[in-house]
Amino acid sequence: MSENNTVRSSGTLQLINGKKYRGELVAGELGAAFYAKGQKEPMAEWHYARMNRMDNIRRGGTSSQITVILKDDTRYVFELAQGLKLHSQMDKHWVDKPVRAKTRGDILHEQAERLGQKIEVPKKHLVTRRHPNRSIGGDILVYLMLLLVAVAMVFPLVFMIGSALKPLDELLRIPPPVWPSHPTLDNFSDLFVTMGKSFVPFSRYLMNTIFITVVGTFGHLVVAGMAAFVLAKYDFPGNRLFFGLVTTCLMFSGYVTGIPNYLIMSNLGMVDTYWSLILPAFCAPIGMFLMKQFMDGLPTALIEAATIDGASRFKVFWSIVMPNVKPAWLTMIIFSVQGLWNNPATTLIYSEAKKPLVYALNQIQGQAVTNIARTGEVAAANMIIFIVPILIFIFSQSRILETMASSGIKD
Amino acid sequence: MQSQSFASRYLTMRREKIAHGWALAKRNKGCYLFLAPYAILFFTFYILPIATSIFYSFTYYNILEPARFIGLQNYVNLVLQDEVFLTSIKNTFVCAVIVGPIGYILSFLFAWFINELPKWLRAVAVIIFYAPSLGGGAYTVFNHLFRADAYGWLNSILMELGIINAPQLWLLDPRYMLPIVIIVSLWMSMGTGFLSFVAGLQSIDRSMYEAGYVDGVRNRWQELYHITLPSMKPMLLFGAVMSISSSFNISDVPRALCGFPSTDYAARTVVTHLFDYGFVRFEMGYASAIAVILFLAMILSKKAIAALLGRVGT
Repeated sequence: MSENNTVRSSGTLQLINGKKYRGELVAGELGAAFYAKGQKEPMAEWHYARMNRMDNIRRGGTSSQITVILKDDTRYVFELAQGLKLHSQMDKHWVDKPVRAKTRGDILHEQAERLGQKIEVPKKHLVTRRHPNRSIGGDILVYLMLLLVAVAMVFPLVFMIGSALKPLDELLRIPPPVWPSHPTLDNFSDLFVTMGKSFVPFSRYLMNTIFITVVGTFGHLVVAGMAAFVLAKYDFPGNRLFFGLVTTCLMFSGYVTGIPNYLIMSNLGMVDTYWSLILPAFCAPIGMFLMKQFMDGLPTALIEAATIDGASRFKVFWSIVMPNVKPAWLTMIIFSVQGLWNNPATTLIYSEAKKPLVYALNQIQGQAVTNIARTGEVAAANMIIFIVPILIFIFSQSRILETMASSGIKD
Repeated sequence: MQSQSFASRYLTMRREKIAHGWALAKRNKGCYLFLAPYAILFFTFYILPIATSIFYSFTYYNILEPARFIGLQNYVNLVLQDEVFLTSIKNTFVCAVIVGPIGYILSFLFAWFINELPKWLRAVAVIIFYAPSLGGGAYTVFNHLFRADAYGWLNSILMELGIINAPQLWLLDPRYMLPIVIIVSLWMSMGTGFLSFVAGLQSIDRSMYEAGYVDGVRNRWQELYHITLPSMKPMLLFGAVMSISSSFNISDVPRALCGFPSTDYAARTVVTHLFDYGFVRFEMGYASAIAVILFLAMILSKKAIAALLGRVGT
């Protein structure tokens, strides 16, 4: 077996009669083998050609239990300790590579290579046609529509970015150009001048927002992570009921609970403090929901093994579970940042020095309705608000999608 | 005799169940400790507000005076006397009926269409479709596109083409306000549910499709109905919850685009109405009654969609 196409993962193997062995699963190009702990010789070996089916292995990253069924109907169940690390990206399920049986083409290719002949490799299609039952016409129609809608969706955003970069004379042109012919950063410097003239310095607003976002997100990660961990991995009375409540509360966001929330905040004496924004963010249902669903896919054996070794529950949580659910963290972070960064906090915070950035920028926005010359500045302000969540999303997209694969609500 | 034995057996079962539950709870004491921080905050900021809303909805409460119990008067006033509320109900209903289902179906369709694209192209497409709902205040750009003077993009384009000869007050004219709010909300409707669909479609077992070809699934629509949709049910329900949440909570868009209050209340939604009574007029009892109606509407629609999804693909 060539080394670079080989993957290993420690874990347990369960036979049909229920016997369990700890050891290591090694999968290569032609087959896989299981080595029991401390043994040099493999305990079981398979060639892919003889293998019927590998269950669960294609589910994007969340499951690490694998069933192997051979042609003669013997079956093996794996519980991988580091399963998540193996197929941590959606398109790179590790078995996809090794599981492919040798085709006739491959054999011909090998022969030709041995004889020193060159073989023309056909160019890869832009659209990989996995599905033989699609008509070309339908494909063209679908992608044409997709393109049209994508252009319509992206147009307002491009227009916004364009306006932020337009010099004054292009802002005043009729009809307004979508993209400036002489892009400048004047609007941004004007924005900083305007903000500098305000009663509270710009940096103060920025620091407020950063403080709220960072503290809120970190607390959310710890508090909701702990709750998700016990809800996913332990069975105790009230577990289902509580999670059901959280699932229902996914729907109630923002303004609907705004009024009683205000009353509660004022009773707790937290109106006009950062805590009125931070504490509700700690318990945002969406982050905890996604975390719990993702942790459901973690192998129970992992936790049991650590518990038997004498680790406390917090240690299991902090040094075993949390490092294994990094994709879910990123997802929680993006949703939490999205909520906190965009929250203008109009009702809960009234002293100017504690207002977040979005509030200050919204104030500038109000001026654009009457004064066209200000539109450029407003677009610049918009872009500043817009760019932060987008950048985080772009860099963590594959991890977020991996988490969302387990987001479904089962009745 | 027979019934008594049934009753006693039932009681024994109950008792055993309770004893079992108690033992389980005792064994997992630590779990409650872990859950406590989240549970306390969650009850304070999510469950308690809902309970308070229900309580205050039966009272007259203006923050300054103590709450006075008035029974169902708030609800009666809502339906019989508050014409603006009926407008807002109508608007929210129109928005929810159009934005909710269409946004939901579009999210699914586009997630499905981009599913077969190569990975990098899919990543770009996800960013394009998800960006409007991700970047909080991005919708304010429509203020510029629909400006009331000739500098507005739509006005200038239409005037250039000779379709109109004077600028239209897009965001101040009651005829156009609601459609514009709906268009902008649709633009923003590919949110968390969309992400869930994209990820869910990627994780469907491909051998199911292969089995489908053998069994004679002839075109993409049959494949969608018989294979894809049934495997996506949990994600579909999650997406439904998300789109109920966003379509009933439409309020930022009309407030930012059409002003608050809007001309003739034409862009009034239930949530802006609630905001008006709660934070402008401080009639907390009345605002709570509005919130309770909203809660009920959302829970009922979730139940209805869950029942509907139960029938798909069978």
